[in-house]
Amino acid sequence: MKRILIADDDKNLAELYQQELTDDGYQVEVVHDAREAIRRVESELPDLLILDIRMPGMDGIEALNHILGKNNRLPVILNTAYSNYKDNFMTWSANAYVVKSSDLTELKTTIQDVLERRESDV
Amino acid sequence: MTNPNLLDSTLTMILAGGQGERLYPLTREVAKPAVPFGGIYRIIDFTLSNCINSNLRKIYVLTQYKSSSLDRHLRRGWSFLHPELGEYIYTIPPQQQVADLWYRGTADAIYQNIYTLEQEKPERVLILSGDHIYKMDYSRMIDSHVQSGADLPVACVEVPLAQASHLGVMAVDESSRITGFQEKPESPAPVPGNPDVALASMGIYVFSTSTLVRTVSEEARRSQTRHDFGLNIIPRLVDSGKVFAYNLKDTNRNTTLYWRDIGRLGTYWEANMDLLEKHPEFDLYDESWPIRTFQVQRPPARVRVENAQSVRAIISNGCDIDDARVHHSILSPGVTVQPDASVTDSILMEGVDVGAGAVVRKAIVDHDVVIPPNSRIGVDAREDGQRFTITPEGIVVVPSGIQLDGA
Repeated sequence: MKRILIADDDKNLAELYQQELTDDGYQVEVVHDAREAIRRVESELPDLLILDIRMPGMDGIEALNHILGKNNRLPVILNTAYSNYKDNFMTWSANAYVVKSSDLTELKTTIQDVLERRESDV
Repeated sequence: MTNPNLLDSTLTMILAGGQGERLYPLTREVAKPAVPFGGIYRIIDFTLSNCINSNLRKIYVLTQYKSSSLDRHLRRGWSFLHPELGEYIYTIPPQQQVADLWYRGTADAIYQNIYTLEQEKPERVLILSGDHIYKMDYSRMIDSHVQSGADLPVACVEVPLAQASHLGVMAVDESSRITGFQEKPESPAPVPGNPDVALASMGIYVFSTSTLVRTVSEEARRSQTRHDFGLNIIPRLVDSGKVFAYNLKDTNRNTTLYWRDIGRLGTYWEANMDLLEKHPEFDLYDESWPIRTFQVQRPPARVRVENAQSVRAIISNGCDIDDARVHHSILSPGVTVQPDASVTDSILMEGVDVGAGAVVRKAIVDHDVVIPPNSRIGVDAREDGQRFTITPEGIVVVPSGIQLDGA
């Protein structure tokens, strides 16, 4: 079973993701801030990270750098309500960038794509 | 002339982090780009002068190992631009802003400075090495990048096949499209139509910023890579068919221009000696292409020699040659040569003192070494081999800080 870590300060949204993705057969963990995400990535080695950008304290972009510095193979999907970070070069090392929407289809397809590409890379 | 806006929207990044292990012991204390060259210069002065002469004035120098001497030189000699007018030369050491790592390679050095690119948002980035000796107007290459619709030009120079096995060699088709790449090949591929020469990469690239960021970000996610432009990035991009050789030639005379990669002690010595030719290919006295550096104020060179025979030398400020013989040599500032000493085919760095009656032949003597009276360097290979580095070409290298006993 693939393990997904979600880092998002919006607790309701994170819970919704957790339910939906668990129903789809993933094992899902949730954290609500970036520093905790960095710690969990190191200790739990998830198969994929879904990372919000705007969070109190450290933001997702800074966290992305730290995380890739420790594990450059971990697939990361940036998931934010804002599309303007797409132009920020610091986000280009993520595997995908998905703008938040009430319809989770794009996020779910992207999760599948990223995990499949990861498999074929190995 | 190149549109000034093109140059204004181009950011230059000079990779100056190389350890220069093959230039050891000259790089024992300083980074390779900070090694003195041609008497008064440091190796990086040539690349920086090319930038200024090409009207490129937004420059970052990415440093890494042993960078304090390089940093000091740049602050003292290269702080003349005006940041308030949007022009600057800044050094950036590894900041661990992106990753908790030193630069793992040239591509990683750019990746770790993506934050800088994000802040500047230049349209394109010129990537240069800080350890080559040549003159080049980069604006023409930038023009060719823009006019081709953002193809990726790689500056190349034709070198004799025998020299090419120390370099990165490009295979090209008739339209200069690069079709393959070999790093330090045993049998380099010759240029189509000219079996005697190969096309060596000068490590100079022009990227559109978005292509550069995308490429180095992808590279950062790979394992089993050396994160190197020449070894990893360019070969991968060659498959896209958009990588072209920009052949550095003298277009007026259709001859190859002077370019040396100061990779080894032997090439370092030879490139210095090239300056002493009667009509050097690489001329420091060319007023159309000034080379800048930093110099301490010193008195003019003084030569107190009667009946000098065939002196061919570069003698810097503050040198004092007193009734001694100096031939076919380069003297950095503040070198003294005492009576009856003889210096031939040698490079003497700043502050070297050659004692009375001493003989120095085919040697590189690092800064502030005191050579005792009547001692001999470069005369007896066995004796030298016990004390100094000797290159395969027989050049004796005397490191700084050494205490030599009198003869």
